[in-house]
Amino acid sequence: MTQPIKYESEFAKEIYALENGQQIKKCMQCGMCDVSCATKKEMDYSPRELFMLLRTGNRDEFYKANTMWMCSTCLMCKVRCPRGIALVDVMHDLKAYAIKQGRTKPPQAAFYQAFCQDIMSRGRLFMGGLMARYYLKRGWTEMVKAGFEMKDLGLKMVMHSRIPMKPPKGIKGLKGMRAIVERAQELVGEEVKG
Amino acid sequence: MRYSFYPGCSMEGEALPYLKSFEAVADALYMGLEEIPDWNCCGATVASGVIGDFPAQALSARNLALAEPMRFDIVVPCSSCYMNLAQANRKFQEDPHFRAMINEALRAGGLKYKGSLKVRQIIDVLINDVGLEKIKSAVKKPLTGLRVAGYVGCQTPRVFPWEFDDPEQPVFMDRVIEALGATPVKFPLKTRCCGGSHNLTRPEITTGSAAGIINCALEDQAQIMVTACPMCQLNMDAFQGMIKGEYELKAEMPVLFLTQLMAIAFDLPPASWALKHNIVSPYAALAPFGVK
Repeated sequence: MTQPIKYESEFAKEIYALENGQQIKKCMQCGMCDVSCATKKEMDYSPRELFMLLRTGNRDEFYKANTMWMCSTCLMCKVRCPRGIALVDVMHDLKAYAIKQGRTKPPQAAFYQAFCQDIMSRGRLFMGGLMARYYLKRGWTEMVKAGFEMKDLGLKMVMHSRIPMKPPKGIKGLKGMRAIVERAQELVGEEVKG
Repeated sequence: MRYSFYPGCSMEGEALPYLKSFEAVADALYMGLEEIPDWNCCGATVASGVIGDFPAQALSARNLALAEPMRFDIVVPCSSCYMNLAQANRKFQEDPHFRAMINEALRAGGLKYKGSLKVRQIIDVLINDVGLEKIKSAVKKPLTGLRVAGYVGCQTPRVFPWEFDDPEQPVFMDRVIEALGATPVKFPLKTRCCGGSHNLTRPEITTGSAAGIINCALEDQAQIMVTACPMCQLNMDAFQGMIKGEYELKAEMPVLFLTQLMAIAFDLPPASWALKHNIVSPYAALAPFGVK
């Protein structure tokens, strides 16, 4: 006999407290998101299933799930959801939550972190900087593998002047931009506590 | 018609042909563009997944605040930039609590936003501000007989469904293609996701998705594909060599930015066509129109 489901309401409460967490409660398990999802076949739990995991407070299975990392932000589920849930925004929260908990194993987490570090360092994204930061996190083996697989692509990008050799100059208001983001993060923290 | 112009990071690199052709086309259509001074990255589809939704919206709001003194609506060519800027702006205008919070965050950077601007996507501006008649009258070299797949991509029509186009079967891009004298093909996958930023972390997702989209356009006998999204263009064009290694494509498919095709039809100087940046050669398909 299978074990009865153990509900862990503490975890569910943590998730509901995220910026868009309350929306998860609105899900009626209709599955419209599943049939609309561009990357569902890459997901171990479909968006609908993931929402159920969160509501039952299944922390362990949530940590194993790749669902939010496979979301490509195509917005189809958000357009079609009959309950008006902004699923992509919930996915943003879940990614940020997973990273905060140190769950950064999937390659996407490394990519996301590399991307943010790059824009915070300059105010604008530079493809070369993003790649360098990403492969620094992924390690040599992955870099060599990708270098082999994507050699022709990279070469063509260079030949057709699609990759600038130099990063763009940093924006003048970089300090101000960082201060805005930091203040915004503080404000969210205060909201959650309050 | 004057606009504040938000180019976005991709236009400084991968989408350089978009920038070159858009600036020339805007000029030909008497759209005055003024770049937002010292704009920053919108965070794409990524920043919100690390720093959180609200801080990412504050990142977008910095651009809105910098644009406001110029007093013109913001035109955004990139679909992800459009999504982020337009969503943050809409929420700012509709939600007083959000407005107060954003201004509280902006204050840390010495900025303030009143909420007076609109954020507009390039396709919306082309149809609703410029108008098809004006586009038609700018055409000096009608692209008669050219079969074009208008690849709208996923985000553009879905940020605000029905605000300017149908979120599932949009028609605006096809209307622009028609105005250039070309023939838009049916292309049912015109809004299918290209795989987006999985291209670096899981390229096989991108190649699988792009193969289906290109083959769909080929089935409808398209000779070229146009798009208004930097990520779609990159994934269809630069990845096509990889796609051919993994899937059977019935033919090569040149992929241009919509504004490149407009620059050709308007007979603007060839430098503005910026075709040297296109990886799959578009020259054979465009030869009948004097492109070489």
